[in-house]
Amino acid sequence: MSQAQSKTIQATGTTSSDLAEVRDMVAACIQCGTCTGSCPNAFAMDLTPRHMWRMVLMDQIDEVFQSRTFMLCSACYTCTLRCPRGLPLTEALSLLKQRASRDDLPCYRQSTRFYRRFIDSVRRHGRVQETTFIALYFMDMTPKHPLLPLKYTPLGLRLMRRGKLSFPNPFARAGGQSLESIFNKVAALEEAV
Amino acid sequence: MNKKIGQALVVGGGISGIRAALDLAEFGYGVTLIDRAPHLGGVLTQLDHQFPTNHCGMCKMLPLVDRDKAAQFCLRKGLFHDNITLRLSTEVMAVDGEPGRFDVTLRQAVNPVDPDRCTGCGECAEVCPVEVPDAFNAGLGLRKAIYLPTPHTIPNRYQVDAAACTRCGACVDACPTQAISLNDKARKDFHILVVDDELIVRDSLKEWIEIEGGFSVTMADSGEAALEALKTRQVDLMLTDIKMPGMDGVTLLQKAGELFPDLTVVMMTAYATVETAVEAMKIGALDYLIKPFDPDALIPKIVGIYDAVKTPDEPPLKVGSIVLSSGSAFYDPSEGKDTLGYGQLPDVVTQLEFERLLSGTGPTGGHLVRPSDGRPVGRIAWLQCVGSRDLQTDADFCSNICCMISLKQSMLARDKARQAGMDLDTHIFYMDMRTFGKSFQRYRDQAEESGVNLTRARIHSVVPDLTQGDLQLRYADMSGRAEECHADMVVLAAGQRPPLGTAAMAELMGIGLNPWGFPETEPFSLVHTDRKGIVAAGAFTGLKDISASVTQASAAALNASRTIHEGGGSLKLESGSAHEYEDLSRQLPRILVVICTCGERLKPVADPRLLTRHLKQDPAVDQVLFLDRTCTAEGWASLVDMVRNINPNRLLIGACQPYAYARKLKALGADTGLNPRLMDVVDILSSIQGREGEPEAFQAAMIAELRMAVARLRHADTSAVPGVPVTQSALVVGGGIAGMSTALAIADHGFPVDQVEQSEHMGGNLLWIKNTLGGHETAGLLSDIRSRVEKHPHIRAHTGARVLCSFGQAGHFLTSLGTGEETVENIEHGVAILATGGREAVPDGYHYGENDRILTHRELSEKLDAGDIRPETLNTVVMIQCAGTREEPRNYCSKVCCGAALKHALALTDIHPDLQVYVFYRDMMSYGFTESYFTEARRRRVRFIPYTKDRKPEVLLEGGAVRIRAHEPLLGRDIEMGADLVVLAAGVVPNLSADLAQSFGATLDGDGFFQAAESKWRPVDALKEGVFGCGLAHSPGNIPESIASAEAAAQRALRILCHALLPSGKLTADVRHSLCALCERCIEVCPYEARSLDPEEERIMVNPVMCQGCGACAAVCPNDASYLEGYAARQMLEMIDAAMGC
Repeated sequence: MSQAQSKTIQATGTTSSDLAEVRDMVAACIQCGTCTGSCPNAFAMDLTPRHMWRMVLMDQIDEVFQSRTFMLCSACYTCTLRCPRGLPLTEALSLLKQRASRDDLPCYRQSTRFYRRFIDSVRRHGRVQETTFIALYFMDMTPKHPLLPLKYTPLGLRLMRRGKLSFPNPFARAGGQSLESIFNKVAALEEAV
Repeated sequence: MNKKIGQALVVGGGISGIRAALDLAEFGYGVTLIDRAPHLGGVLTQLDHQFPTNHCGMCKMLPLVDRDKAAQFCLRKGLFHDNITLRLSTEVMAVDGEPGRFDVTLRQAVNPVDPDRCTGCGECAEVCPVEVPDAFNAGLGLRKAIYLPTPHTIPNRYQVDAAACTRCGACVDACPTQAISLNDKARKDFHILVVDDELIVRDSLKEWIEIEGGFSVTMADSGEAALEALKTRQVDLMLTDIKMPGMDGVTLLQKAGELFPDLTVVMMTAYATVETAVEAMKIGALDYLIKPFDPDALIPKIVGIYDAVKTPDEPPLKVGSIVLSSGSAFYDPSEGKDTLGYGQLPDVVTQLEFERLLSGTGPTGGHLVRPSDGRPVGRIAWLQCVGSRDLQTDADFCSNICCMISLKQSMLARDKARQAGMDLDTHIFYMDMRTFGKSFQRYRDQAEESGVNLTRARIHSVVPDLTQGDLQLRYADMSGRAEECHADMVVLAAGQRPPLGTAAMAELMGIGLNPWGFPETEPFSLVHTDRKGIVAAGAFTGLKDISASVTQASAAALNASRTIHEGGGSLKLESGSAHEYEDLSRQLPRILVVICTCGERLKPVADPRLLTRHLKQDPAVDQVLFLDRTCTAEGWASLVDMVRNINPNRLLIGACQPYAYARKLKALGADTGLNPRLMDVVDILSSIQGREGEPEAFQAAMIAELRMAVARLRHADTSAVPGVPVTQSALVVGGGIAGMSTALAIADHGFPVDQVEQSEHMGGNLLWIKNTLGGHETAGLLSDIRSRVEKHPHIRAHTGARVLCSFGQAGHFLTSLGTGEETVENIEHGVAILATGGREAVPDGYHYGENDRILTHRELSEKLDAGDIRPETLNTVVMIQCAGTREEPRNYCSKVCCGAALKHALALTDIHPDLQVYVFYRDMMSYGFTESYFTEARRRRVRFIPYTKDRKPEVLLEGGAVRIRAHEPLLGRDIEMGADLVVLAAGVVPNLSADLAQSFGATLDGDGFFQAAESKWRPVDALKEGVFGCGLAHSPGNIPESIASAEAAAQRALRILCHALLPSGKLTADVRHSLCALCERCIEVCPYEARSLDPEEERIMVNPVMCQGCGACAAVCPNDASYLEGYAARQMLEMIDAAMGC
């Protein structure tokens, strides 16, 4: 923060057009801070929600994509419910997440790849299969983060002790054509948007 | 007695209703003032203290001229005026006719307590077994089903809450005066036919209606059976189901209607067939009930129908005009998505509830304790904008006064705690602190200095902290950090909502509503609804503070009066011959003393023989008689007989609540020929309570009280105080929109007006303001009003003229006008109205004047209109609000600048949507319904950046370019931008010179605006009667607000102009010139400027109309030359002797 405070923003008035949608969603913000006050994850955020929305509105979008704020949103919808302007804040946050995922922005890979592999696992097995999912995730991440598996080891052991991990055939496919067509449909819809 | 020719109806007896009614009554019209509540005063009955004085002050609304027409006592206790008929528990049922000639049907709810018999003793409430939440205490605490609507009304009569009453009859038996009649027999005779195919519905309805309602019920299981039943017996009301096998309810309704056209039918319906029920209402059904029934709602509804059917329709009231002042309701936070704990946590209360907790008549007796456990309160948090400025509760508006209420409550609470020797932490969480009214900003400063914490943050929820036993609030501070705070109590500033039944009333009256359900008024008026002759006042058009309500009420009264006048109601008062009484001053006093025995209450504490003996020691006392319950109709009738038979020349009544007798004494005077000024009522009974055990002391006090009154009456003086002749014309200084409006308003009532404008053209600021924030063009308004002023036969315009000097007093002023260098014209007039207007201030700082890119809102407006600035050529526009205002020396909000900034931001982005607009503000004052423009500007991505007094944005000049450097507190960074235009909101300064004000006897406030006699209750009057201020000279405001204050000033002036000879009050001061040494101390001390030195006669003159009888002059006079009528020295000394028991 201290570095940020000393920095003088040059208000230029340019925003990449694909983020105009997010900006328009929060345009009527009155900076009351209800979103920050109500956010259960705000303690872990580098920019608290109001701060981040202010950056969006002040066209500091690049910096928004250096913060982890929107990735930490757990979509509890409290801010959306409490916002006196009725702004679709949770939706706006998920648009930011989608953008980070689509552009595969390096600083969010830890999160976006996690989501992606999770979905891959569901698509392949009809449900999440923890072992294969985590293995694929580590494969994605280890080139850059070789120690990541170690970080997860204690959690893995705990889960194993409680019998929370299953070890089915990693190559078995389930769900069949119907699940696949759901995924295809979603992909087509997203394409259309 | 003046015969009243015009008639008006005022709907709603809150503060604006009272103001409008008094204004119309003082003008001589007859006024019917109704309220659906059983008490007068609206929400103000529940509020004890008002900012900025933190006191009450309602009595300041009482008439000051011709003041004996009204009873001069606390308005909370009651309103009495010869020309006002007060009807409580009354609603409007129908309005027909046209402006000037409306026929209004009223209906008064039936109260089982006979007000002529009830003495207010309270024995009924003691025995009543039903307890319900106390509405007077905003639901805190309980009251009985038979109750006093307010604790302070006089006379205070009990009222039955029909919805809560179980008709057990305990009160009927307990009442010592047989005042209560539940009328069981009449209800038993009311037959209800219940038609439903389901047995369980029929049976349960029969049981409810018979047991709880006391009505007779017969049942039918089908339409056919119902028709048979109707033929065999008299039925008063039929409740019928809609879906029944065989004949359905609608067919039954039609057939029954053919056979028995007078039958009242109510449909019963499941939710799914509500539409059918609504259709049924179109073919004759009175109403419908939705199944499943809620017995608590069902019985009151049937009782309502019973009352409506059984109460004969009143003959329609003929009125010329209707004033709607039904007040405002409040948002119920428990209904919202975000309740903030209201309804679940007892320590979360609304502002209204907190007012009751602060009040001595409240549920805690004024002790500041937590509702949950009665423990003293140490920390209180106020949360602003609950149900205001919140799109999630459909409230895209600001409720105007909550900020001020919270400031006031925090200061009152701190005072209370300090008196109790405690420390209180007070914290207000706000979005924008809206202190836009006159003197509000200084009030805020005062609150902050006294230690109230203000934090710009919105609280998202209130949760109980179980470990500490208090309430926890989380919020984000300006930097975005999440903070926590704890409080013992949380006060929610619940926003405005239209009062219940507004939609129905609007339909009845034929007036339109705005998107939020409040009455819509015309673009440039705060009072004109879209039906001519029906005007709105006060909080009915949106919550407002007292001074705005009172101003608007006077403006509404003015426009109502205009309609009555246009409709043919003559303005002339019929011969001012008040009742002539025989002059008894030469007779020896023969005082009849009548003492009320108040049932059995007097007996244990006083011996009648002893009392008589003591009083008769005074030879002036002719007879002493005892009478039971003087306050009841019977008691009063026997008193009238006594006066007739004995024919005393003075009358003294010893009873209680002297206020209640004001009207009765006048009637008694008219009846018996005894001058009411020779009658007196003293309170000897109200102190009995609790002193039954000490009869001797009580009796001595009572005798002293009565003997004092005897001494006073013995010397009562009935000689008439001469009135003051009135020059029935007005002088209006200023020719802007306010000046023209006030001149027209007076001239339209047929009185000549001289209007002075120093420039060559009328129009003032409207010459450059071309359109408004609401998107309305002012050109039509200006040309219309200008041509009306020019053509008006009663208005003489003096353009290019100035007031040179003026002297005089209410009723007669002489003013010299200078036109050009030499010409002088003298004008005589009865009242003066200062409407000299205001102008945009010249900004100081921000490099104004050094670069033509830096300009004011007025300059921007003019350049946009002239096409000198083309928005499409601009990239960035920066606006800086409060450029020179809201800090010393101009520490007031100019009210119009935030609106101007929004107007310009919207106008610029209309043409150039991609324009970057930055608005630097301290608190956006987009009050009331203008909040929606603030929302719109935000939507258009106008960037609003808050700044504080000590960290203002900087304007940097770099060659010809302009840059802005400022701190963005939300990002915690400095920002910098180039600006094509920098627009400064410089604020409004008045065009009212101290000399000009002084020459009329008016004064200026610290900021150079017109000083009102009382900022809340007499907002457009100067302390000196006969001088009024309005428009921008009075206070900053937009066009409708200026017009409203102008019309209010006109209304206040008309009260004086309507009299050829202005009657003086009974109690006025005078001078014994032979004793007067002309020291002039009395002139200095007179707060009403009623005294002056006549240099030719070398005498102190008292204007008896301006004199309010306060007695300051008599107290200060070293020679006893000044005295107050009715308080002669001899009289006072004798009274003191009597009080001392000598």
